[in-house]
Amino acid sequence: MRRASARFALVDVALKIWRYDPESGERELREYEVDAPEWACLLDVLDLIKDKHDGSLAYRKSCRMMICGSCGMRMDGRAVLACKERMKPIADAGHVPVISAMGNLPVLKDLVVDMAPFWNKIRAVKPWLDPGYDEVAEKERIVSQQQVNVINKESLCIMCGCCVSECNSMESDPEFLGPAALAKGFRFVGDVRDHGEVARLNELNQDHGIWDCTRCYFCNERCPKGVDPRDAIAKLGAESIKLNIDHDMGAKHAKWFVKSAETTGWLRETELVPKTQGIVSSLKEIGFALNLAKRGKVPPPFPPHVAKDVKEARALHDLVRTQGREGAAGIVQGEHALAQIEHVLEADERGGEHGGD
Amino acid sequence: MRAAIEAHDAGADVALVSKIHPTRSHSGAAEGGINAALGNASEDSPEEHAFDTVKGSDYLGDQDAIEILCDEAPDDVYQLEHWGAVFSRTEEGRIAQRPFGAAGEPRTAYAADITGHVLVHVLYEQVLKRDLTVYEEFFVWKLVEHEGRCQGVIAWNLLDGGLITIGAKTVILATGGAGRLYTGTTNAYACTGDGMAQALELGIALKDMEMMQFHPTTLAPTGVLITEGCRGEGAYLLNSEGERFLKRYAPNAMELASRDVISRAEQVEIDEGRGVDGNVLLDMRHLGAEKILERLHGTRELSMVFAGVDPIHEPIPVRPGAHYHMGGVDTDTWGRTTLEGLYAAGECACVSVHGANRLGGNALMETITYGKRAGAHAAEWALTNTTVEVPESAATDAERELGELLDRREGERPWSIRNELAETMHENFGVFRREDQMRRQGEIVDELRDRYESVVVEDKGRVFNNDLTQALELGFLLDLASCMVVAGIERKESRGAHARPYDFPDRDDENYLRHTIVRWVEGAPKVEWKPVKMTKWQPMERKY
Amino acid sequence: MAATETRRVAYYKGCLASLSAKELDTSTQALAPLLGIELDELESVTCCGAGDIHEAEPDYYLHLNARILAYAEQTGADTLMTICNVCTLNLRQANWQLKNDDNLRARVSQNLETVGAPPYEGTVEVKHLLWLIAEGDGYEQLKQVAHKGLKGLKVAPFYGCQILRPSKILGFEDPDRPWSLEAIIEACGGEPIDYPAKIKCCGFPIIQAREETALGELIQPIEQASEAGADAIVTPCPLCHLSLDAWQSKLKKATGKDFQMPILHLSQLIGVAAGLEESELKFKRHVVSVEPLVEKLEA
Repeated sequence: MRRASARFALVDVALKIWRYDPESGERELREYEVDAPEWACLLDVLDLIKDKHDGSLAYRKSCRMMICGSCGMRMDGRAVLACKERMKPIADAGHVPVISAMGNLPVLKDLVVDMAPFWNKIRAVKPWLDPGYDEVAEKERIVSQQQVNVINKESLCIMCGCCVSECNSMESDPEFLGPAALAKGFRFVGDVRDHGEVARLNELNQDHGIWDCTRCYFCNERCPKGVDPRDAIAKLGAESIKLNIDHDMGAKHAKWFVKSAETTGWLRETELVPKTQGIVSSLKEIGFALNLAKRGKVPPPFPPHVAKDVKEARALHDLVRTQGREGAAGIVQGEHALAQIEHVLEADERGGEHGGD
Repeated sequence: MRAAIEAHDAGADVALVSKIHPTRSHSGAAEGGINAALGNASEDSPEEHAFDTVKGSDYLGDQDAIEILCDEAPDDVYQLEHWGAVFSRTEEGRIAQRPFGAAGEPRTAYAADITGHVLVHVLYEQVLKRDLTVYEEFFVWKLVEHEGRCQGVIAWNLLDGGLITIGAKTVILATGGAGRLYTGTTNAYACTGDGMAQALELGIALKDMEMMQFHPTTLAPTGVLITEGCRGEGAYLLNSEGERFLKRYAPNAMELASRDVISRAEQVEIDEGRGVDGNVLLDMRHLGAEKILERLHGTRELSMVFAGVDPIHEPIPVRPGAHYHMGGVDTDTWGRTTLEGLYAAGECACVSVHGANRLGGNALMETITYGKRAGAHAAEWALTNTTVEVPESAATDAERELGELLDRREGERPWSIRNELAETMHENFGVFRREDQMRRQGEIVDELRDRYESVVVEDKGRVFNNDLTQALELGFLLDLASCMVVAGIERKESRGAHARPYDFPDRDDENYLRHTIVRWVEGAPKVEWKPVKMTKWQPMERKY
Repeated sequence: MAATETRRVAYYKGCLASLSAKELDTSTQALAPLLGIELDELESVTCCGAGDIHEAEPDYYLHLNARILAYAEQTGADTLMTICNVCTLNLRQANWQLKNDDNLRARVSQNLETVGAPPYEGTVEVKHLLWLIAEGDGYEQLKQVAHKGLKGLKVAPFYGCQILRPSKILGFEDPDRPWSLEAIIEACGGEPIDYPAKIKCCGFPIIQAREETALGELIQPIEQASEAGADAIVTPCPLCHLSLDAWQSKLKKATGKDFQMPILHLSQLIGVAAGLEESELKFKRHVVSVEPLVEKLEA
């Protein structure tokens, strides 16, 4: 059998790594340079550094094929899986990336974070099937592929933490459950075999839950597996509202947008505050509101600013509500098309037949 | 995890000790599926499943163990589904099953091409539900033997540093395989055969150690796995001439022949100059984008990231890679080893369900069924035996040994020993084996073991010192390599994954229808033999 | 100085530009002809739903956006121009879903027809004004239009979230290293200021329901831009503008810091460089006074 390593060209790769030694408390940015094979990923380069330059460099790794979720870390401030990032293009471009530990989690040493807060939040959503009082079937429960597809994306999650690393809401509120835990929550809410939907949604509709998501979409952007946690959170919101679990201000805020659209077309901004926050809280905001009102930022609700042909919007609302795509189904239905995007865009680049936006 | 759940449900107080977080387990990388005679895709029966497994094992599998696996498999799979495993479904809403290598019927239940991932997560969910104690990121280094029983483990606390001793009435090893013995391997960095080496250290028998499966479709050079599921969905294997060369080696089953047959075929094609840069080609283009995106999405991603190839448009270059270790700790059908209180299940065990070659989809099934059985038996034993005693000397001896290693300031870094081991095993103990190469490999391993005596750990810190644990893992690999080579030399025939086309090209049932047994005796591996249990099937010529 | 070549676009201004951020609409309408853009304003439209309808009633969100796209197609233009990040994401996402799923498109089109709206054909592309003028002919035109210039004014670009992420839907620029606003600031004669929070969230979606969390986000771009010496922040999103401008006073209450950082809409920034009048720019509608900036430029 031929030797594997001999044939590949070497590339000169330079990196800077934020080192942290918990025993001395020292934190330092150090530069390293190694000759790596042209197929090397960031993880391979770290291995070379650890082997040949500094055995104390600490990082997690296991499968090296993007499934175990161990090697999440930041490259130039953006969370990635170290085993997924090819280094040749970076080295060829003459760029020296800065490698650091993932964000929003305490750093234990070098690139190793304390995952305990992450796992605690996962545990908090009670991540196991709640089959209720159903008689256990003799064989498998009958579930259609379509029903499985509802939680297909959330099932892809490898718990790497990349989504959590850049979560803007969690940065501001460390108690926010976060994208990974909430996506896991939807994995059960959306599972037809789980009978704890109402209890789960009631839990998740509390502080630091669904409505704390700031919709920055960093999680969707960072996830190396295509889970799209932001969309899972939206599915939770949709299911909550479908089941009339709407006591949270965030839910009320969202519902007012629906009301506005079907009555006046445009958003009834002025009423947004009392409708979201309630009268008492709104009264507290009077000073703030008056300041805005001075500038015309609080448009008077009367006469209502009505869009043209708004009756079409009303009719549409009545119509779609009869078609059984309420709640999360409304988001799931678009996933098939969205999954094609990269493939379609690549086909465009190759000169394929897909026209595209 | 499956064993822990079973033991807990039987009433035992369980601790799960894992050197990596449980969901990082390499079972999560399994892709294609899990075998059980559910009968959802066609008429099927446990007996047919058993026969396919026996034949697949090249008749080295113990038939009683195989029958148990195939009988219990369907209910065990249903249990996983009841717990919430997200399987792909048939039109009727039942668990979908696909064709897989060397199977007479499509019985590989699957979840797209991430079956292992789905199962690891459903088990972890059940672990969380029961609030099981998990010693996460604790590296078990040694087993504790006292008064003829295994009474616990000694582990290095990876997060905070320091050795701890955990006493236990029973210990179940579920430490997986040792693919890291080879350069091109599908295995994670964590797969260093820890449990097998730890059992070996206590004088416990390891069985069929020479049997390492080479998976036919791995990516060069690292060995990243491309699932057999691709071939299950209809992919072809082509040589440089665009020929589906398996028609010359396995004309009936073609791409779905058993793995050892295909790996050998590929190796011959490559060696005879019909490879492409040391690979053959896995062609899926005819499956179409829709099917690939739906059923083989993970595969496509792996191919694009690691091989730079989009299988929708181009064939994937693949070659054999070390994948699964059929051998392991000798156990009975309850997972019991020869040491009271010590059990083993899964890849680190050898019951033997897989004999000389494993069918795709049977490994996941084994971890579940035999994990369950080991858990049940260990719990029962533990609940009927009251004492646990870990002698202080076990801890102090370990401290001393570790101290010697950590105190060493000069010596060889583990990587050079590790890389040489993996490269030479790849060269001398791969798909095809020859006596002279195997003997030379034995010498090489001995030299490496000598060099290992002066291995140096650079990181002297306590917090997250995986420089230390990786050095300890290398020790395990070296011990296991010795065993494998010695067993390989002694088996003077070709059977399953052990192929000796130059000196012993045929299967020799008269002399070698038996397992190799290796024990560590006076500082070296010693080979003995153990008969194969046969219930229903007599060995026949094995053709695909 | 009007453009020589005109391109006609369907113009969807969105909710805020219609009401509380009227200054965005007036400055855009005044600027467009100078840039060679003929705005065909859509009237039979509704709110795009923002993240709220997408979360509350996603099927309705899809239909509302399909309707907007359908009416845009009616104008015969090939581009639907937006002036808000959120509208851009919502419309582009809906467009993708409908274009790449025959069954979905069939059902939605049928529903539109049932209520008397025009059908959805998938013939328009959705583009933010930002993209039309950041490169190519649009950029050349911009340079000519910005004749008065910003005289080296230090301007901090604030992209916000939904013009960059998710990048597979938006796709105009690298979501972590965007350049369009900087290019435009330079074309207008200003000096772009760099700072880390320029691509982070302003907190608007949760500014009512989770004010404290939102303010913890909001302070970052304002504080960093201020410390970097910026004279103003420019943003392509009126929702971000509302946070940055109208809620800036709340930062004073929460942190004790009074930043007084003027926040400009994209078309206002260009408008200043192009010499638009106050009647078109409507700076008086801002909560944080833009006066210091105006004075600096007039000096």
